[in-house]
Amino acid sequence: MKTLSRRAFMAAALALTLNLLPLNIAAAHETDCPYCKQPVTQDTPTQDNEVVLKYGRKRIEYKCVYCALAEAKTEYANGDISIAAPSEKKGEPVIVKRTGGNWSATPSTAVFVAQTPIKHRSCQVTARAFRTKGAADSYIKANNLKSQPISLSQLVSLAK
Amino acid sequence: MVAGGSALAQSAPVPEAPWPALPPNLPSWLDNKKTNHLFRKRGDYNYDVYKIPALARDLNAVTVGHALAYEDLVTGKESRLETQTYNRINTVLKNPPKFMPDEALISPTFGRKYGVLEQVFDWTHILHDQTIDVLANTRMSNALKDAEIEKLWRFYSESVPYAITSLPMNMDMLDSQPYSKAFRKKYPKTNGLFWGYHWLQGAMYDGLYSLTPAQQKASYEVMGRRYHATELYKTDRSFMPMFSELSPRFALRFPHIANAFDNLHMLHDMVNDILATDGMSEAEKERQIKRAIWLVSAQAHQGEKPGENNSGEHDHRHLDGMPGMGMMPRSDSGTMWMDGMGWMRTAECHHCSMPLAKGENAWRSPQVWAAGTTMRVRCALCARDMSAETKGEAILRIPLESTDKTLVIFADDMGQLTTLDKDVVFIEEPASHVKCHEWSKAFSNRAAFEAWAKDKPEYKDAKLISFDEWKELYGDKPDTYEKPEAPAGMSAPEKEGEE
Repeated sequence: MKTLSRRAFMAAALALTLNLLPLNIAAAHETDCPYCKQPVTQDTPTQDNEVVLKYGRKRIEYKCVYCALAEAKTEYANGDISIAAPSEKKGEPVIVKRTGGNWSATPSTAVFVAQTPIKHRSCQVTARAFRTKGAADSYIKANNLKSQPISLSQLVSLAK
Repeated sequence: MVAGGSALAQSAPVPEAPWPALPPNLPSWLDNKKTNHLFRKRGDYNYDVYKIPALARDLNAVTVGHALAYEDLVTGKESRLETQTYNRINTVLKNPPKFMPDEALISPTFGRKYGVLEQVFDWTHILHDQTIDVLANTRMSNALKDAEIEKLWRFYSESVPYAITSLPMNMDMLDSQPYSKAFRKKYPKTNGLFWGYHWLQGAMYDGLYSLTPAQQKASYEVMGRRYHATELYKTDRSFMPMFSELSPRFALRFPHIANAFDNLHMLHDMVNDILATDGMSEAEKERQIKRAIWLVSAQAHQGEKPGENNSGEHDHRHLDGMPGMGMMPRSDSGTMWMDGMGWMRTAECHHCSMPLAKGENAWRSPQVWAAGTTMRVRCALCARDMSAETKGEAILRIPLESTDKTLVIFADDMGQLTTLDKDVVFIEEPASHVKCHEWSKAFSNRAAFEAWAKDKPEYKDAKLISFDEWKELYGDKPDTYEKPEAPAGMSAPEKEGEE
């Protein structure tokens, strides 16, 4: 009984720890994006690039937030998902969630950039998440993108 | 004209150079016109594949598919191959026959015209069938099964001259004949089916090897789903599925058999290409098919050894850690291109880049069957986390404390893990992946761990965790991971399936 209780406690503790872990745990192996088939751009010491979609226990890497959202709407249309999309701050991704069919982003100030039409050879540059509109404006200017910051719902509509 | 081509089909290029000449002094059996009936070695395991009915029926359907296509190719009906015949084959694949049909009744013209070829095919198909029957047998121990498979190999290689060589062949060389790739370009959907059959015939071995009957049946439920939903209909493979990529454990234990099966499948491709080539006369087709049989025959390579690097058709090098696979179109001795996975180093864990177990310990490497391929990894953690990072259903096969015990874990689309083996226990005390094979292990049960650890003081205080605890864990990104680079002078396909 004592062993069982300890096991139950350990399982609960593990589950809790897992849920509290940051969502930007990237896959170990470098891989191609399941959506656009281009190599996933790896994180650098100063900038995160790897987008991770979490579906149940699956943690699938994508090249950009657009790619991950497009698959979330098709391959993972049912059930809850989370997407950790790298932001302007290393180690502080924007967390996009679909819970019970409702989309949300954390932080609530998050905006997105998606220069259309999406060119997937460089989608890690042209489709990104930002924690603030100001950061997105600066990024658009710095990278000479022909785009404006958009909301999560606009990005969800765009991705397919 | 055998292969006139349909209006819709892409024409195969007509090579400018003369067709390769037949080697001199070929053995007389290559001209045999008699209808020899070959039959199985006696054994009470024969037809035990029917203990896994879904697999048995799918294999029966493969026979129909091959035969229908060949008959079209030699009776001037090739223009319907991608349409009516494809649909007929697909109907059979979706409604597989309960019993094995007689191929000779489905493709009588092909059998009459290319009798020796049919016997070469049949002879290796019998080896396929009987090795699977042995693996599906529910009475023999794993050791007895291994011994019987070796007996089947001797029976195969010594009874008639139709045996395919057991040496690794250079697949790039075999696929670089003047007629190569004609069939896949002209009939991509039908070629996709053929390669789907080869996928099944390769993948099923590790889905059975060293597993219990219950594990085998449960495994085929998952593998059969993948076969029917995806593998049969893929038209973007850059090469035919290779045995060692699909069943690495069986291929390590029986590399000679793995090589023979790959060489047989390559012969299928070469014959398909010859029959689909425009501008080749009937007589030339017969000559080229005879030459193709000779190239992969055991007799043509007598006295040669695996690993030897003679040139051309006598290049028998194999990839590091994979004696059951010859050199590939995109490979050097230790790195190769895998569709969907990119560049892979063949002797290293696909998850942490550390060396895989070798030699007599090679069986200890777990594997992850996912996304249509089987990736070898170094420890239980690597298997679990790799399955979580790969889309779709997965099967984890983790060897336990002895060669005859394998833990099988199933991952569903959401990565939720289940197993039939409820008593299994794990140790997992993460540190550097330099030693992950020591700190991440699985055992049948607590008693098995204690027996294993009794003379290993370093495991005295090891904490055992249950399956339910272990399945919720997720490790850090391995500190040892290194991305494999393309070998010098080689590049990835522009996109998958492109040559």
